[in-house]
Amino acid sequence: MEFPAALFPSYFGVGPPQEEGGPAPVAGWGEHGQVLEGGPGRRQVQPAFVPRRGATGERWEAADAAAVPLLLPRAGCWIPSPTPQDILYHSGLCRKLRAGKSGATLDFARQLGHFFVDHPEDAFGSLGRLLHKNFYLGNSKLQVIVSRSSTIRMTALVEDIDRLEARRGCPRQHLASRLRWFSHLCRDWLFEVPLGLLADCLHEELMQQWSNLLFDDSLTGGALAWLPPEDGGTPVGCLVHPGGQAMNHLYFQDVVLEELPHTRGSPAQFELSGRIQQVAAARVDGQDFVGVRSDYHCGVWRVLGKRAAAPTPLQVIRTDVPASCLTVSPHLPGELSVCTQSGTVYLWSVETGLQQLRHDPQTMFFRDHSPWRWCDFTAHPRVLSCADRTGLQCLDARAPKRCHFDLFKVGKEAGCQQGERVVLPMYLGRAHPSQYLVTTQFSVYVLDERLPLVPVLKWEHMMKAPPLFAHLMPGKPGRSHKMLLGASRTQELLLLQYRDIFWGVSSGGSQSACQLAGTPQKLHSIAGCLQHLPTQLPHRHHLLQQRLTAPAAGLAATLQEDGLHKSMLIFQLSEAGDVFCQRLTHKAAQPPAPPSRDEATTAPGSSPLFEAPASSPKGLGAAALRYRRWLRALSRVCKESPRHTWPPSLSQRRLFTRRDLEGLAGPSSLQRQMRQRLRQIMEKGGRIQHWEPLALQPSPLPQTLEPAGGLDPLSARLTAAWAGDWEQWWEERTSFSVAQRQQALRERRRRQKRARGRRSLSASFTSSLTYQSELSELSDTGPSLFSPGRPPILSQERSPPAGSPPVHSPTTSAAPDEALLSSQSLRCRGIPKERRKTLRDYLSVWAEGPPEPPEPPASQVSQLCIPSSQSQLSSASQPRRKRPRMGF
Amino acid sequence: SSNEHKLNFKKSKEACLSYIQDALLQKQWKRAAEFLACYVEALEKDYSREPIGPSEMIWRIGTEILWHHSQSSMKEFNCFMEQMKTLGVKRYLKVCLEHVFHLLCNGQIDEAYQNLSLAESWRFGEQTAIQDKEMKLVQAYRGLLDYCSWSKQKNILLEQGEDGFSDLAVEQEMHGYFRKAAVNLKEIIKMPGVWDIFVKCYVDLLEFYGDHKEARQVLNEYAYNSKFPANPNAHVYLYQFLKRQREPKKSLISALKILHDIVPSHELMIDFNTMLQKSKKRKKRRLGLEVIFAALDYAGWKENAKAWSCLARQMKQIVTSEKHLDWIKQEWSSRKDWWPAFHFSRYLAKRNWQENENLSYEKALVAGILLGKGCKYFKYVSHQGCKAQLKRFRMLKKFVNKHNPVYLRISG
Repeated sequence: MEFPAALFPSYFGVGPPQEEGGPAPVAGWGEHGQVLEGGPGRRQVQPAFVPRRGATGERWEAADAAAVPLLLPRAGCWIPSPTPQDILYHSGLCRKLRAGKSGATLDFARQLGHFFVDHPEDAFGSLGRLLHKNFYLGNSKLQVIVSRSSTIRMTALVEDIDRLEARRGCPRQHLASRLRWFSHLCRDWLFEVPLGLLADCLHEELMQQWSNLLFDDSLTGGALAWLPPEDGGTPVGCLVHPGGQAMNHLYFQDVVLEELPHTRGSPAQFELSGRIQQVAAARVDGQDFVGVRSDYHCGVWRVLGKRAAAPTPLQVIRTDVPASCLTVSPHLPGELSVCTQSGTVYLWSVETGLQQLRHDPQTMFFRDHSPWRWCDFTAHPRVLSCADRTGLQCLDARAPKRCHFDLFKVGKEAGCQQGERVVLPMYLGRAHPSQYLVTTQFSVYVLDERLPLVPVLKWEHMMKAPPLFAHLMPGKPGRSHKMLLGASRTQELLLLQYRDIFWGVSSGGSQSACQLAGTPQKLHSIAGCLQHLPTQLPHRHHLLQQRLTAPAAGLAATLQEDGLHKSMLIFQLSEAGDVFCQRLTHKAAQPPAPPSRDEATTAPGSSPLFEAPASSPKGLGAAALRYRRWLRALSRVCKESPRHTWPPSLSQRRLFTRRDLEGLAGPSSLQRQMRQRLRQIMEKGGRIQHWEPLALQPSPLPQTLEPAGGLDPLSARLTAAWAGDWEQWWEERTSFSVAQRQQALRERRRRQKRARGRRSLSASFTSSLTYQSELSELSDTGPSLFSPGRPPILSQERSPPAGSPPVHSPTTSAAPDEALLSSQSLRCRGIPKERRKTLRDYLSVWAEGPPEPPEPPASQVSQLCIPSSQSQLSSASQPRRKRPRMGF
Repeated sequence: SSNEHKLNFKKSKEACLSYIQDALLQKQWKRAAEFLACYVEALEKDYSREPIGPSEMIWRIGTEILWHHSQSSMKEFNCFMEQMKTLGVKRYLKVCLEHVFHLLCNGQIDEAYQNLSLAESWRFGEQTAIQDKEMKLVQAYRGLLDYCSWSKQKNILLEQGEDGFSDLAVEQEMHGYFRKAAVNLKEIIKMPGVWDIFVKCYVDLLEFYGDHKEARQVLNEYAYNSKFPANPNAHVYLYQFLKRQREPKKSLISALKILHDIVPSHELMIDFNTMLQKSKKRKKRRLGLEVIFAALDYAGWKENAKAWSCLARQMKQIVTSEKHLDWIKQEWSSRKDWWPAFHFSRYLAKRNWQENENLSYEKALVAGILLGKGCKYFKYVSHQGCKAQLKRFRMLKKFVNKHNPVYLRISG
C-alpha cells in the first residue's frame, strides 16, 4: 500500500498533554479539522479541497426499530453483577456529612455482617457450637439459677447494636460500653478466621468490586466473534460466544444470514474452567483460529473453512496472573499473542509454544497504576505492538530488547488531553496493512505505523463510557471502511466511516490521507428494545429491564452483499449471555429526502416494532415473533425469585384463640424431621422435590424411640444425639417423669397416625409448586404479555380474543392463596372444621377485593376483571380456573 | 429559591443537550435544529467554567446541523458563522479557520481568501500560544491560496508563451502572488509539524525562481530536523527533488537508504532495489537484496508481483553465478521459520495461481530456490503451469531442479 502523497497539516510537539479537558459532550461535531488540496487533475482551473472530517459518507439505515434477539435464552438464570447500591454505604445522614468530600464509602460493615449471617459455620463454627448454650436470646429474664451463672442474656447487646445502627453516621457517636466490653472480650477468639485477616480479604474484594463497577477492563476486546462464510459459499457464518450461568461455556453457533438471521442446528459446545472474558478470531489461509481468554487460561480453537467438521481445540495455556489480552495473528496460522496483567508479553505459537517478548511491570511512558496490558499484531508478522494505558510500542519478536519503536504516546504528539488513557488498541490490517486504531475514553485515533506518534485521524467520539469493543468492516477499494465502537456499561454502539482512497480506482486510485466520512451514527442498543415491548407486570418489567440493560460484553458484525442490495448485520452480546442483532441497509446516494420517516416514528412510547407497518407486512411478523419467543423462553428459563410469587403470609394470631392453635404446640418428630430436612436442603441450595417420597417413608426416628426405653442410657443418648435430638432427650430425662413420658409417647403415636394423612399436605405443597410454574407458563402465552387493550396481532392462532378465557390453560386454580386455603392444610393447622369456611372466605376477600358471588355468569366475570393489562390476578379471577376450588 | 432555579436550569440545559446529541447521532437534523433553538437560551446564563461552554456547543452543533440539513444554504451558513465569530474571543480564529475550510471544500475559493485576510488582520489583546498557532495556520492557508493563484497565472503565462506572446501585467501579478505566498509558507514550515502541502508548494515556488539552494535547505530541514516527526514524505520530497536536480546516484541512494531505515515497507523500495541491483559495487547489491527481502516481510507487499520479480531476478542472478550464496543464506536464516507459512503455503499457491499467474511464477521461483523442489508452493505452481503447457513454467522447473543443491547450502 502506498503512502499518501500528502498528509493533512498538523502541528507536532513533544511532552505531556497540555490541553485540559475532560469528557466534552459535543466536542466531535462541527469541525473539518484541516483541509488538503488534492484533486483528480492538477491542471484544473480551481483547486479542489477535501476536509479531514465532514466528507460525505455512505448512507446506512436501520431496518428495524430495535435490535432483535438472535438466540433464545439458555437454561440457567443469569446472576446480575453487583450494583453500586450493594457495595456503597448510603444513608441520608452520611451523605449529608460527606457531601463536601468526594469519593464513595464502601459499606464494609454491612458486607461483613452479611458474611456472618450467611456463613455462620465458616465464621464462628467451632466456638459457636461450643458456646451456644451460654448465650440466651430470649426476652424473658433468666430463671433457672443453675444456668444463670453460665449464660449471658444477649438481648440487651442486640438492642445496643440496633441502636448503634440507627445512629450510624452521627459524628458524636459513642460505642455502648457493653458492646465495647463484649467485643474486647471475644474479638480474639470468637472467630473461626482471625478477624483482621478476614476483614483485609473482604476489604480487598470490595475495593476490587468497586473499581470493576467504575470501569471493568477485563472485558476489553469483547467476547463475541463472527466467522464469516467463505467467499461465494452459502451464507452461513458461525457465531462464537460464551454462555451459561457463569459464562464459562463456549458455543460455536451456525447462523444463516437471511432477512432476519437465524440459527441453524445446535451449537458445538465446550465447557471451560473459567468465565470467558474475550473471544478473538482471525482467518488465515482459509481457516479460522479462535482464541479464548479467561482470567487464568487461554485456549485456541481451529475451525475449518468448510464448516463440516466440528471446531477442534488446539492448545490451552495457564497463566499465574490474570491474562488481560489475547489476539490471533492475521498472518500466520496458529499464532497468537498473550499479555498478562503483570506486563508480560508472549508470542504464542501452537507449534513452538510460548516465547516471552517482554517483562516490565512498569508502564511505558509515564507512571500509571493500571495493570492492564494489551498486545496485537502489526503489518510485519514478527513485529508486535504492546500497549498499556500510556501508549503503544512496537517490538520485533526476533530481537525484542533491541528493536522497538513508539507507535503512540498519550501526550502532545497526538494532541491528547490531560488524563486521557488508552482503552483499546486494534490492528486494522484488514482495511489497510499498516493502520492501527487506538481508542481512549475521549477520542479515537487512526495511526499509520509508517508515521508513528502522529495520528492520521483523530476524532472525539463523545461516548458516555469508554469504547471497549471495536469491529472493523473493510470497504472495497474506493469505498469507506466501516468501524463500530461499542461501550460496555452503557451499551452504546457507534458506526464510523473512514477512507483512505478518495479518487476512485478509475481515475488512478491515488492513495490519500485518511479522512472521516459521513457523520457518526448511533445504532440500537440492546436496552433500546425495552420501550417497544408490550407492557409487563411491574416486577416482570423490572426483571426484563435488568436483563436487557446488562452491560454489553462483545460486538461483531458482517457486511453482506447480494447484487445491488448491501446490508450490514451487527451482533451485540450482553453480560447476561444474550445475543441481539440488527440490520442496517445501504441506501444509494440520493438527494436528501424531506423529513425522513424515522424521525416521525421514533418518538418514545410508540413501538413500530410491534405495530404492523403498511409497507412491510412480512417484516413485522419475523421480528415480533422472535421477540415473543424470546420473552417466553426467558420467563421459562429464569424462574422469578420466589418472593414475587409467594402467597401473602398472614398473621394468624388475631384470627384464632390460643386454644385453637394449641394443637400445634409441640412439633411432632415427623415435622421436626421435615424441618431438619428442609434446612439441610436449603443449606445445600437444592430443591424440595424429594420431600414427598421421603415424607411418606415410615420415618425411622419414632421406631427407634419406642424401644429406647429398653436401651441403656448411654446408647439412648447417643442415638438421640445422632438424630440431632439430644437436647430434647436431655430435657425428657431431667424434667419429665416416667408417666409423663409414657403419655407423651402415646400422644406422639397418635399424632404420628394423623401424620399418615399428611401426604395430602405434601400433595398440596407440590401442587402449589406446579401451580407456580403453570402460572408462569400461562403468563408467557396468555394475554398478559400483550396487553388486551392492544389488538392481538402477534399470532392470531395462539392468543384468544381478549375477554374470553384462555382455552389452553390446563391449570385449574390460579388464586395465590390456594395452598393456604386447601382444607387439608387448614386441618393440619388444627383449625376446627366450622371455622375453616370463615377463614377461607376471609382470605378470598383479602386476596381479591370485592366479595365474589358463588357462581357468577361468565359475562359478568369479564366485567369484573381488572380492566387493563396490569395484573395476572385479573386472569385469576376468571371462573373457570376457580371451579375446582369451589367444588372441593 | 434562586439556587434551586439555577440547578433546574442547569438540569434542563443538560437534558436539552442530550436530546440534541441523540438527534445528531441518528441524523435527525430537523429535530436537532428545533432543540438547538431552545438551547440557545443557555447562553443567557453562561456561568459554566467547563472547557466547552454553551457558546462553543452552539457553534459546533449548529455547524453540524447546517452541513447536513436539507434546507440549509451557504448564505445561511455564512451568516451563522459570522455570528459565531462574535460569540467568543478565544475561539475567533478557530471559527474563522473552520469557516474557511468549509468554503474551500465547497469551492468558494475567493470568499475563503477574503475570510483569511480578515482573520489575519484580527487583533485582540495578547495572543495565547494556541492563538499564535492558529494565526500561523491562517497565514499558511492564505499562502496556499496565493500559491494556487500563482500557479494559475503561471499556467496562463506558459500557455501564452507557447503562442509567443507575453503579458507583463499577468507576469507582475504572478510575482506578487509569489511574494505573498512565499512569506507566509516560509513561516509555518519552520514550526515542527506535518506540512506536506505547504512544503511542496514552497519548494515549487523556489524551484521555479531557481532558488535551488533554499529549496534544498528547506527539504533537508523538513526531513532531518529531529524536532519534526519522522514523516516518510519529507524523505520522498527530498528524493524527488534530488532526482529532478539530476544529482549523482550516490546522493539518491543515501536519501533512499534513510527512507529504508525508517520505513522499510515504503513503495519507493522497489526503485531503490533496482537502483542498487544495477550498481557495480558488491556492497550495494547486497543492500539491494536486504531491501527487497525486508519489504516482502510486510503484509502489504504479499501480493506485489513487482517486488517478487525483483527478488526473483536478483536471486536467479546469484544462484546462476553461484557467487554470494551466503547473502541469501543470511537473509533467509532470520526468515526460514515463518516465511514458508507466510508466503509459501499450499493455500496461497492455489490462490495466487488463480488470481495472478505472474505473481505465482515469481514466487514459485523464489520458493524453489529457498525451499528446494519439494516445497509445496513450488510443486503446486509448477505442476499447474506444466499442465497448462506454459513454457516458462517448464523452464522454471528445470532451473530449480538443476540448482536444487543450492537449497541445501542455503538452509544448512
